[in-house]
Amino acid sequence: MDPFESIKATFFQECEELLTDMESGLLAMEQGDDDSETINAVFRAVHSVKGGAGAFGLEELIRFAHVFETVLDEMRSGRLHLTDEVAKVLLRASDVLADHVAAARSGGGVDEGRTVGMIADLQALIDQDRAAELGLHDDNASAPADEDFGFVPIVLSLDEPASDAPEVDVAALMAAASDPEPATNPTWVVTFRPKADMYAKANEAALVLRELSRLGEIEVSLDASAVPPLDQLSAEQAYLCWTIRLAGDRSEADIREAFEFVEDDCELSVVRDGEAADASAPDLAIDDDSDASASAVEAAAAAPLDLDALLARVQPPSEAAPADAAPPSPEPAKTAPAETNAPDPAKLDVAGLIALAEKASQDHAQAAPPAAPKVDVKTEARASAGAPTAATPTIRVDLDRVDRLINAVGELVIQQAMLSQRVFESGLARSSDVALGLEDLELLTREIQDSVMAIRAQPVKSVFQRMPRLVREVADLVGKKVRLVMDGENTEVDKTVIERLSDPITHMLRNAIDHGLETPEEREAGGKGVEGTVRLAALHRGGRIVIEVQDDGRGINRPRVRGIAVTKGLIAEDAVLSDDEIDNLIFLPGFSTADVVSDISGRGVGMDVVKRSIQALGGRISITSEPGKGSKFSMSLPLTLAVLDGMVVSAADQTLVAPLSNIVESLTPRAEDVHLIGGRDAVICIRDTFVPLIDVGVALGFRDTPLPPASGVAVLVESEGGGKAALLVEAIQGQRQVVIKSLEANYQHIHGVAAATILGDGRVALILDVDALVTTSRRKAPRIEKRMAG
Amino acid sequence: MPAPGAIKTLIADDQQSMRSLIRTSLNALGITQTREAADGEDALRALLAQPANLVITDFNMPKLDGLGLLRAIRAHGPISKTAVIMLTGRADRELVQRAVQFGVNNYLVKPFTTQILKEKIEAVFGPLE
Repeated sequence: MDPFESIKATFFQECEELLTDMESGLLAMEQGDDDSETINAVFRAVHSVKGGAGAFGLEELIRFAHVFETVLDEMRSGRLHLTDEVAKVLLRASDVLADHVAAARSGGGVDEGRTVGMIADLQALIDQDRAAELGLHDDNASAPADEDFGFVPIVLSLDEPASDAPEVDVAALMAAASDPEPATNPTWVVTFRPKADMYAKANEAALVLRELSRLGEIEVSLDASAVPPLDQLSAEQAYLCWTIRLAGDRSEADIREAFEFVEDDCELSVVRDGEAADASAPDLAIDDDSDASASAVEAAAAAPLDLDALLARVQPPSEAAPADAAPPSPEPAKTAPAETNAPDPAKLDVAGLIALAEKASQDHAQAAPPAAPKVDVKTEARASAGAPTAATPTIRVDLDRVDRLINAVGELVIQQAMLSQRVFESGLARSSDVALGLEDLELLTREIQDSVMAIRAQPVKSVFQRMPRLVREVADLVGKKVRLVMDGENTEVDKTVIERLSDPITHMLRNAIDHGLETPEEREAGGKGVEGTVRLAALHRGGRIVIEVQDDGRGINRPRVRGIAVTKGLIAEDAVLSDDEIDNLIFLPGFSTADVVSDISGRGVGMDVVKRSIQALGGRISITSEPGKGSKFSMSLPLTLAVLDGMVVSAADQTLVAPLSNIVESLTPRAEDVHLIGGRDAVICIRDTFVPLIDVGVALGFRDTPLPPASGVAVLVESEGGGKAALLVEAIQGQRQVVIKSLEANYQHIHGVAAATILGDGRVALILDVDALVTTSRRKAPRIEKRMAG
Repeated sequence: MPAPGAIKTLIADDQQSMRSLIRTSLNALGITQTREAADGEDALRALLAQPANLVITDFNMPKLDGLGLLRAIRAHGPISKTAVIMLTGRADRELVQRAVQFGVNNYLVKPFTTQILKEKIEAVFGPLE
């Protein structure tokens, strides 16, 4: 791929994450979270989208993102306050931004009318004068590419000796210092303590002071307290220390320049007034021991890499740091209280260094006109306390590579199982070294398999995050007020499963809003709050992931559902069904309760399709409902589509695998419990309940004559719909985790078979599709079974 | 005249795509010794572990923004003389001024071309060979 194109592809991937971050931030804001961190995060996301769009010349996207960003910036600086209305506009804007990103990605267009309307809505949030000032109405939305602010780059030489003061371009600093913005000129306090060497080199303190006086009015005081009595005084020693106060409209570099020739031979500190001057460890001393001829990089590299040592050396300057170069704030006194909160220098570490730097940035925020009202204690606390929460480093890897790895590990698992089996078949003692080694290998293999699967595991967040928008749109369309509550977004599941969760969840949510919830009027009449609640949750249960969609709506209208099912011939008129069974009728093909096929749920997709798509993932779906209180759909899915816990059984000389998740129990049938219906279809009575008895060998066409029930084992299984059946097999071999190999990809679909696997002995075993087997048997004898069940 | 190949560069940006773009441009200029960091804190750690001649940093980053990174670099003796070029999303006068006060060497407005990047680097180190 063209490198540029591949970077662009990366950008769009990032956009997905950015949009997700943006939306979760906005949702928090909708709930009233006006923490500056939240607003900042949203701003940053939009800003990054815009920045990338700029790099790739995506004009439409830039144009919209710019307006959006500007509004967020107004919030960030406290000029625009968060209200319900503002949050709603921002949320809609986020949807439009997502559309723009999607359009830019696919090269398609966007709804121009919607964009224009949205831009107008965003602009309306900002005071008209302010909007003009920001240039929001200009067509040329993107800021000029490069503006000269009188900025002069600071020149640096690559091989500059480390011990030299940087060759700071004075002009640049002058330009910055003479800028109209800095409000005050705090006074510099220079402490200058010459060493004996300075005098030995024929330098003169007075000359230095005179040099300093050229920078402006200075106030010099001499500390002669160190001068010993005359009889102890050594003519070659240095005892004097000067403190010089200098008006602050000079840069620190200017001041240090005056000491250019003596700085190696004196103790020097240059700080703003009001700060603790620590003359005992002037920062220039730091470079004293570095090799003057080494380049800056080499010198730095030569410095001990031990963080503590490094930081111990830099402590005094960093302690003085936050304010010495901090922006001249309008009222110096104001920054003073903050300093008392500065972390204990003795405990400074990287986190501390960062905290200090963050504080400087914070000061920056504070200095911005009408400063955000709460430049907060919260951030402060976070900066000093929570800094070590360094994010785990991550890398991006092509899914293909992970898949290859997972496949290879799958083969490894099989190979390992085969090896074990061969070894034991060869008659080696279980306690032999080889056997013990193999056991270790097995454990290791399992561990590798788990770890590899964990690579592909992702939180369901990526799917959940798309749902708030869906809920907003559906709610708008059907005129209902809906609050979406999400739980367990961090529940992890294999990526292959995640990708296929979206459709069923989407459909269940639509269904919940469209059918489950009442209109605001109905809700009010029923004594409920006008706003309906839909809860979307994910949780791990029994090695599976369970997704629940729950509404507090009207619940299933059972008489009506039953009536429809009878009318459509789905059940017999006299069928006796439990409430649960009635509720589950909505999953039957061809069932739709919508009076009018609405735009939302009625896209020709019924719950039966949802159910089938979940079953295709090896999942189950069920519903519980309480009239007037609401309904809850639960779907449970395997955590991965790559491996399966299975019961290995044999039937008609074939080895088969039944998914453990379907199995309820196994038993040896007694001949008197088995009854033949219509001379062919068998049912078995298990604790007074009749369930179909399916001879697996016959059902799959391995043989024609059924096995005598008493000579086999009946495995009671339950299908997704809750239908039960007993599978008659010859024997149960054991429980095993198997690697799923798609039958469709390698051969073709076979009814009653879900997939295949390779067993330890190298043979292929078919994995049973329990649902298909149960459904087939039930379809054959629906009435009989019901009558008996009743 | 510094040899581009000798300029050890650290790219700090929270977006992988931006880092790749900058790296591609730098490589085109012959600056091949590049490392990347995903935020200011990450960058600071990388610098402490192994110094660089040049840091090209985005302004907007989580955890520690570009200004904070600049601050930290300047406050820290062994790495305080690292050249820093700040990337900004828009030509923001106030921002540039703050960066100047913290001792930024140069700034660069997105989107930029390889040529502009070259000029910005040359303004700091002198013409590249």
